[in-house]
Amino acid sequence: MVQYHPTPRTRKTLAFSQPMPVPLSSQKALREWRIYLFVIPSLFLVAIFSYFPAISAVYHSFFDWEGGDFKRFIGFDNFTRAFADRELWNSFFTIGVLVVANIFKLIPSIFTAVLIHRLISDKWQYWYRVLVVIPMIVPGLVTLFIWKFFFDPNMGILNNVIEGLGLKGLLVAMNDAMGWNVFREGLPIGWLSQPDLIIPSLVIWGFPWIGAVGVLIYLAGLQSIGEEVYESAEIDGANWWQKFVYIEFPLILTQIRLTLVLLIIGTLQGFGLQYLLLGMDGGAGGRGMVPGLWMFNRAFGAGQFGYACAIGMILFVFILGLTYINNKYVRVEK
Amino acid sequence: MSSMVKGSRRSEMVKHSLIWAVLLFELLPLYMMAQISFKDNSTFLKQPWFPTEIASWQWENYAFAFKLIVPYIANTVFVAVTGTLLSLTLSICGAYFFARYKVPGSTFLWAAFLFLMLMPGVANLVPLFNLLKNLNLLNTLWALIILGVAGGQVFNIYVLRNFIEDIPKDLFEAAEIDGASHLSQIWNVVVPMSGPIIGTLAILSFLGKWNDFLMPLLVLRDKELFTLGVGLIYLDGEYVKHWGRIMAAFVVSSLPILVIFLFTMRLFVRGLSSGAVKG
Repeated sequence: MVQYHPTPRTRKTLAFSQPMPVPLSSQKALREWRIYLFVIPSLFLVAIFSYFPAISAVYHSFFDWEGGDFKRFIGFDNFTRAFADRELWNSFFTIGVLVVANIFKLIPSIFTAVLIHRLISDKWQYWYRVLVVIPMIVPGLVTLFIWKFFFDPNMGILNNVIEGLGLKGLLVAMNDAMGWNVFREGLPIGWLSQPDLIIPSLVIWGFPWIGAVGVLIYLAGLQSIGEEVYESAEIDGANWWQKFVYIEFPLILTQIRLTLVLLIIGTLQGFGLQYLLLGMDGGAGGRGMVPGLWMFNRAFGAGQFGYACAIGMILFVFILGLTYINNKYVRVEK
Repeated sequence: MSSMVKGSRRSEMVKHSLIWAVLLFELLPLYMMAQISFKDNSTFLKQPWFPTEIASWQWENYAFAFKLIVPYIANTVFVAVTGTLLSLTLSICGAYFFARYKVPGSTFLWAAFLFLMLMPGVANLVPLFNLLKNLNLLNTLWALIILGVAGGQVFNIYVLRNFIEDIPKDLFEAAEIDGASHLSQIWNVVVPMSGPIIGTLAILSFLGKWNDFLMPLLVLRDKELFTLGVGLIYLDGEYVKHWGRIMAAFVVSSLPILVIFLFTMRLFVRGLSSGAVKG
């Protein structure tokens, strides 16, 4: 059910009778004109609320526009300004770091899925799946705010744990040795207020980085592995790591690529996390500034709507390029 | 898998304990939320980790939370339910159009739909806001509903088309011979045959609207119209923080999804995996 693959039998029957959609000649289509009525509402909505804003964004990126009636055509000025915008390039650097970190954050989900899959008991496999999904009942925003609370310097859990385990002394010693200047004796650690700690905090965020959706997707992929594959591996004396490298990993590669692509595009676009944790200015020193947030900031903070559209265009081209590369070099079977 | 021998009892125990170790960390935020919701700030400072005895639980936190959150929940339910129903109705019709016949123009329209999947929504944000302003939809719940319906079309139609195409053609033709219109073919053939996928899409769509906060934050101004997302952001923004109250509000805002989860656990678990795979 998870991925629809026609079984050999259905494929054969489909070959005998003509599969849908049934081709109609234009004459017949004229008689069946009512069928067009069914797509019109969706089309209408998509045209107005997806295509129109997109075209409008392209158009307005060439204007000096503050969101009101007045606008002035300025050619490529917004784009030349963007290319010289240090804040924008820094934000691309930050998002690059976060993308790389997020790629590593896929690993725990993969291992959890493999562990669940290798259990003998089907019943436990099912219940672990349910337990993995449970955090999803909490609205995403709530998870975000709970983590924000974990990072709180005075009442937060993270500092509590670090003090409790006696790690604070170690951190301070490392700080003095490396000259980080972020951990100080007798002062609570300001995870989200120290400029140099903002990116590390965003990386730690969400530990142990289990994505319910990811785990379920990998489990779906793992299910296609037949028992005989494991049995022959067993006979060859493969250990658990070899089984992972030679059997499981290749078979869920499709799923891993898929989640990877979704993750990279999602991270590039996303700025809700940074906005809610750090505010519109990207936190102290703007260290948490990401391109989406900079666009948001220019539009709704500074009222430079035209320039914000230009940033959106740059982001769009960036993501489109990645999608193109992905479609060309990374095949995801449907 | 159960029939095969994949290892000794000891290796099973190792796997179970590893999974539990991960799950404990994963569920820690939920545990903290639940236990802090019964404390006031001073009890929390004294005992941050474990629940206190029931006699000292601060039920007052929940009184505060219900009073604050229930109106937000009502707004969110209105947006999410109306949005999900409209979105699915329209996308079933749209998917029927693409799946049933191949008529002139349908290939072009399909391409036009698929292209939207490549467009990052974030670039549209500014013009979209302006469009809503011009349509006089700012500060209305209908803005959120319409945006949700429009935004969900591509993904839903994409998934549903595959499923409708797999329904045996004979069923449609039999209905046609009986004189069924397209509308009644949808109602009598498509809907009964693709129940589970419709349920799955409904849950995904509902969850998406429930978790949305960016658009509500931009669109809504009046406190009476706040959806859950905006309400929680404002709650978090308060200067003096009563963590117990805040956590109680978080618990209350999770209750509706918990109820849905209890009733549709299988659909939920399947929906999350199939939805993303199909995307």
